[in-house]
Amino acid sequence: MSGRFHACLVAGLCAGAALADDRLTVAGAVDVRWVHSTSGLSFLDGGLGKLRFDQDDTGLRLGRAFVASRLRVTDIVTLHAVLDAYGDHDRNPVDLSELWAEVRPYPTSAIRWRVRAGAFHMPISLENRGPGWSDVYSITPSALNTWLGEEFRTIGTEFEARWLGASSGYLGDVSLIAAAYAWNDPAGVLIADRGFALTDRPSTLFGGLGRPPITFYHEIDRKPGFYAGLNWRHHDRLEVRALRYDNRADPRASTVAGGTAWRTRFSSLGARLTPTANWTFIAQYLDGDTIVGPDEADEDQFRMTYHAAFALASLEWARERLTARFDHFGTHQSSGFYYGPPADDSGHAWTAAWTHDFGTQWQLAAEWIRVTSRHPPRAAAGGMPPFVESQTQVAIRYRFSAGL
Amino acid sequence: MSPGEAAVGFLVAIIAATACRAGELTVSVIDPSGHGVTDVVVVVAPAESAAPRATPTSPVAIMDQRDRAFSPRVLVVRVGTSVEFPNNDTVSHQVYSFSQAKKFQLPLYKGKSHPPVTFDRAGLVVLGCNIHDQMVGYIYVTDAPFFGKTDPAGTLRVPGLSAGEYRISVWSPFIADQASSLTRTVRVDAQAAASRVQLVDALRARPEPRPQRADWEY
Repeated sequence: MSGRFHACLVAGLCAGAALADDRLTVAGAVDVRWVHSTSGLSFLDGGLGKLRFDQDDTGLRLGRAFVASRLRVTDIVTLHAVLDAYGDHDRNPVDLSELWAEVRPYPTSAIRWRVRAGAFHMPISLENRGPGWSDVYSITPSALNTWLGEEFRTIGTEFEARWLGASSGYLGDVSLIAAAYAWNDPAGVLIADRGFALTDRPSTLFGGLGRPPITFYHEIDRKPGFYAGLNWRHHDRLEVRALRYDNRADPRASTVAGGTAWRTRFSSLGARLTPTANWTFIAQYLDGDTIVGPDEADEDQFRMTYHAAFALASLEWARERLTARFDHFGTHQSSGFYYGPPADDSGHAWTAAWTHDFGTQWQLAAEWIRVTSRHPPRAAAGGMPPFVESQTQVAIRYRFSAGL
Repeated sequence: MSPGEAAVGFLVAIIAATACRAGELTVSVIDPSGHGVTDVVVVVAPAESAAPRATPTSPVAIMDQRDRAFSPRVLVVRVGTSVEFPNNDTVSHQVYSFSQAKKFQLPLYKGKSHPPVTFDRAGLVVLGCNIHDQMVGYIYVTDAPFFGKTDPAGTLRVPGLSAGEYRISVWSPFIADQASSLTRTVRVDAQAAASRVQLVDALRARPEPRPQRADWEY
């Protein structure tokens, strides 16, 4: 299956390269970094550590290599693909993270609509606004957006109707978003098993996370999920995003191969304020629950609530950017005995990041994260809460962008 | 910190006075804090139908795109003017307007040129880009014989006026005052005249220059 997608993408890239008039836009980056971590065994290596890299990973690592491409098929139809490599022995060394087609007709009135179909990130994160959903403020996104990148991809269709305020003298716009999707029934399993984490290692469409790898993009109960949201942009200085997500999974459903459907619902609200060209402030909040197991199990049905929030301030001047962020997160197992000790997770994190652009292509990025958390399953496995983990990374990045 | 906050009341003042050289009208647009407002469209037409001496029309005007913004943000042209839309940006654009005064769609891909668009009706044309929603530009199409934009001091000089009554209108996307309060009638006689438009409401926040980053929307 993944081979077929790769073949399609390569064919698309070649077809685009043969064309002209900026028909194909390609952007990407290679990120190589020196890492020092005090974290316990990272969940990516089978542990419950909160960070991407653990003590055993100290040294030189591949952060990410990716290519994001956009092919203009017609004036109003574009095809988008993001190809990723993380060098951490995922099942595919190179994998698709997103692949979607978008129809965006020219507006003929103050209401503009667009439709996109395929596999893509839902419009929640206010940090991941670079090519390939990359974080432009720090190396590692917040716990909230880390989780969205790990367990969620809209594999379906999203519709947006946007009111364009400029024609009415208002410098901003408001859009309503609704989507129907499938193949995301396992979403929730990672937050239940591990709690929140802070990593810049989102899942890919055909790969998995952890040891043994958890995969997220399966349809188990043949029921579509939905989300609906609202985006408001005011004077290019304020962007507000609200969204309600419900994958409507049947928590009783499972497959012979062991896949289980998790009923996952949450609400999210976020705002990004850019009061001047230099300063950016972001705050996001997410709150929801996930359920698994048969209804008749009553109190034995596993249910977990969770919340995550962060506040970020970023100052940009000349070729520098400084960012500070505070994360808070928690999960609470309100019922169910499938997992031994209550899987409650709570913690907070401080992040400080600095980036320096040598030009449009080379960038130096440095980041320090300190996470303090309490997680009973981790204590049960040996250890004394609170767990305090820190990670320092210094990355050199080569970024490229080209149009054909 | 919050942009576009409302202002509290100030006085409206119009001062029409005589000064300067004969036949010249000076229009100033002043914000509530006393500073001149730049880039404001000023159109001047005789209050009665006496035929004025019109300023020559430039054959072609230009509305460019740079750094994912229209340049200039506001363009004022005479009815019948052809406007070229070169794309000197690093990315492609799809410029459109659905304004009554002119509806068009113009895919401006890098390396491709397009014939100019002729604006044959008076009115405000709001420009957008179908790829970059944050891009907004304005073409103010006027049938008035005299027009221009204020300089950084908030002033526009209109020379070569014959004696008579003139009607002045000012417009900017950042002026929040009622449109009815933005027109004046002023008498220009053998000597020169000046008209001062004192704004009451605070200006709307101007969009800040956006940080240079890759052209990718999420």
